[in-house]
Amino acid sequence: MSWLNIGSYVVRTVCLIHITHTHFYEFTETRGESMLPTLNRVNDYVHVLKWYKDGRDLKMGDCIVAMKPTDPQSRVCKRITGMEGDLILVDPSQEDDEEAYETFIRVPKGHVWVTGDNLSHSLDSRTYNSIPKGLIKGKIVAANDFSKPLSTFWGFREITNSYFDEK
Amino acid sequence: MVNYGSYALRSAVITVSWIPVILTFTEHVCYVAKIEGSSMRPTLNPTDSFNNESDWVLLWKFNLKQAKNWKENDVVLFKSPSNPKKVYCKRVKGVQFDQVKTRSPYPKDTCLIPRNHLWVEGDNVYHSVDSNNFGPISTGLALGKAVKIVWPPSRWSADLNMSEGRGDIKVFPTMEHS
Repeated sequence: MSWLNIGSYVVRTVCLIHITHTHFYEFTETRGESMLPTLNRVNDYVHVLKWYKDGRDLKMGDCIVAMKPTDPQSRVCKRITGMEGDLILVDPSQEDDEEAYETFIRVPKGHVWVTGDNLSHSLDSRTYNSIPKGLIKGKIVAANDFSKPLSTFWGFREITNSYFDEK
Repeated sequence: MVNYGSYALRSAVITVSWIPVILTFTEHVCYVAKIEGSSMRPTLNPTDSFNNESDWVLLWKFNLKQAKNWKENDVVLFKSPSNPKKVYCKRVKGVQFDQVKTRSPYPKDTCLIPRNHLWVEGDNVYHSVDSNNFGPISTGLALGKAVKIVWPPSRWSADLNMSEGRGDIKVFPTMEHS
């Protein structure tokens, strides 16, 4: 087998994996404390379904992966806490003045409001405003922690919708 | 005959195995797109032709998430912020950290464009839904940069920079922001 042949197999395999990752399913590492306690700061790997790309069929309370609007090359994991048309009270806990309790934002058409589960250590819609659905890459349905033993399937657990399932 | 059958199967498998490569290429390197509507007149779709022939453009898609690859007067195709299934074609009138003069219905007179965002407007200023309606867009929504008209052949020589909409709308074009 020539080098050309091997190269062509490599190219085809890499592209197949890439297309699967963008359109169907991705298994990827997450980092950062913004989704504690749902996702750990390190060692957590998430299962992402790409059917929900561009905000298709997403509901309030779903966990998503999206491009960060101010830096599209990095991706963020957040939870949807407001759908289009919702009126949002932007976090009054950060400031001392009374006015913060009267600052509301209407989520525009085709946008969602996203926040991290760990509100005190999360850079999210409270900073960069609601994000367009076009930036959403997929929905997180489950996670693994590889530091856990094999008997628990490496810490496998489902990531549930915090708004509808846990009510 | 047996050989013929296995040959056909083998060719089919090889053909299918190249499909992801083609898709990756069209998603990240270049592709063509059809332009609809009149918002980029006179640059694109300059007349209402009787047989409804639209312009097709060559899209360059490589590394467009990086704001430094965008400059003023590039023609951009991007997912509409209000509906991800819709694709808009507009002209970039300002890049990150620029301050631009807006137009009604934008609520303020000027807008400071955030990091990795673009200010986009149609060349046909009065018939265009653009950043004056929905504000600056994230470069993450960009699908490609129109570089050349590929169809119909009569439009091959057309210049994509023939019109610049409202012209230079930057407030302090020489001011350094960092």
